[in-house]
Amino acid sequence: MENLGVLTFGDYADWPSALLEVEKVPLLWVLFLEDVLSPEAGQETAIEDTDRLFDAALAPLRGRLQAMQTPVVVAWSTWRPHGILQDARRCTAWRRAARRIGDILFDLAAHSAGLYLIDLDNLLSKIGTDAAFDARNFYSARCRLSGRGISEISSATAEILRRTKEAAKKVLVLDCDNTLWGGVIGEVGLSGIALGGDGKGKAFADFQRGIRRLAAQGILLAISSKNNEVDVWEMFERHGEMVLKRSDVVAARIDWNDKSDNIIAIAEDLDLGLDSFVFWDDNPIEREKMRLALPRVTTIDVPLDVESWPALLDRLELFSRFSITDEDRKKTQQYHNRMRFVTERANTVDKTSFLRSIAMCPKAVAVNDATVVRAEQLSAKTNQYNLRPIRYTAAEILALAAANDCVTFLTSLSDKFGDHGIVGFSVARPVDDDAAFLDTFLMSCRVLGRDLEAWMFATLAARLHDAGVSSLYAEFWATERNVVAAQVLPQHGFKRVSGKDGLQMKLAAAGLETKGGDLYCADIKYLTRLPGLEVFETCPVV
Amino acid sequence: MPSRMIIAVLRKQFPQVTFDEADNTLGVNSFPEWDSLAHFNFMMSLEEAFAVRFSLDEMAELKSIKEIAVALSSRGIVVT
Repeated sequence: MENLGVLTFGDYADWPSALLEVEKVPLLWVLFLEDVLSPEAGQETAIEDTDRLFDAALAPLRGRLQAMQTPVVVAWSTWRPHGILQDARRCTAWRRAARRIGDILFDLAAHSAGLYLIDLDNLLSKIGTDAAFDARNFYSARCRLSGRGISEISSATAEILRRTKEAAKKVLVLDCDNTLWGGVIGEVGLSGIALGGDGKGKAFADFQRGIRRLAAQGILLAISSKNNEVDVWEMFERHGEMVLKRSDVVAARIDWNDKSDNIIAIAEDLDLGLDSFVFWDDNPIEREKMRLALPRVTTIDVPLDVESWPALLDRLELFSRFSITDEDRKKTQQYHNRMRFVTERANTVDKTSFLRSIAMCPKAVAVNDATVVRAEQLSAKTNQYNLRPIRYTAAEILALAAANDCVTFLTSLSDKFGDHGIVGFSVARPVDDDAAFLDTFLMSCRVLGRDLEAWMFATLAARLHDAGVSSLYAEFWATERNVVAAQVLPQHGFKRVSGKDGLQMKLAAAGLETKGGDLYCADIKYLTRLPGLEVFETCPVV
Repeated sequence: MPSRMIIAVLRKQFPQVTFDEADNTLGVNSFPEWDSLAHFNFMMSLEEAFAVRFSLDEMAELKSIKEIAVALSSRGIVVT
């Protein structure tokens, strides 16, 4: 927890006052079913009565979730000491209540952005209830848990709070020999490889299944291995037990170069930062070299026994996100498209005619309940092509979209390389009758190099023009990661405002907070006819 | 002099608090941060540091580092 905050404790069983505290700090509520439903009641209570008890117990939580988005982690446990025999023949009221409270909490989480849940029955089973609970602590300090139990909950909470602030990893870079399969393909050939069947071979196959599940959730797979490239692809295409397909891999560097150089090259091809990469290699020397050369890449401590890998992969939190969108599921295909685009562009001399030839069709997409998850994700994850990396929650984005005087829209794109989905997000907020401020302007790096930003500016400008606005102010807030966006404004007709104090005051008066970056101003009319727009002839600004 | 080993655990428990480490009477309420909840946490830290387990009675009775030192010694631990 050290880096995320300090746990302070409220009074035992006084959750209403802790939950209704107005202070906006993340809260952990450890809820025991025994505190809501007495074991005596649990014997007999009808389900409607338990519902009423749960409603009363959860009312303060509902109140808080409505009042603020600040995270609340609810860790709940339905455990209580009891024998085997009473559950052997019938489903007790306690057991029904135990299931019910979980359903109610998950239902609540589906409708409240700030709620995160930890199922303690599951979490604590890792160390066992004997180790996790301590009756002495209960009778001496009304704490049901042991020190170990508390520390399990704090680490789980820390994991959740960390993910609310830090994006999940995006790319898994894999070695081949003795990582994806047992044996060295260049030495033993296809028939000598351990993969599938029983024993170690099954562990490798299950490991591949786990990797495939990650890919299905939008994690990109890459290969960096020291092999003859033909051997590796032969294995992928001809070995009957291979779970991973060649098409699951978006980038591969199969050669005898340093793996750190290979990962740098892959990162460039995919336009992703090294922080997004996770490296899995059975060879401890390769791992150590990677740690030294590229500390920003997360190198997994891979244990020697392959049989532990499938579970290790399943438990790995590095890639986990709280929700998975349709966009995520299409990710592998989208990056394949990106790689084709990069290759084809590299082979053409005239950029404009190339962009014309790929038949781009951008669309402005409204922010609504269905698209807000993607908007939130773009806001949270776009580090590079982002003029002002301000992270908005779904609720904040919906509020911006609902405000009459704001112009807020998403941009989707398809072209001959495929449907790229929603890749852009922009928000303009009012300054006065005549001017607006570009609060958010970001684009997924997957579609860089297509002049899509010109179309986004023009669309935004057309809408602002309809609203009677004639100038657009903008800010470039430089961070460590958004160098790629530094020239966007000057390249699209924005003039830097010298002596920005006056403008800053004007913006502040309109309730707009600047981040201390350079300020710019553009003429709306110019933005509607930007030079780059010619490549969108078939899809005019809407 | 209070036990150095116990003081070390105490210091870890209250990193923000400065207190007189030579004070033989240190115990619950010696400073405002050392309330009953903090004491409970301190007792659990001691259990971890010395690999012992206090009984329910001891959890209720051991309120000062002097008493704690005696309880640890009675388990054959050399508390320095």
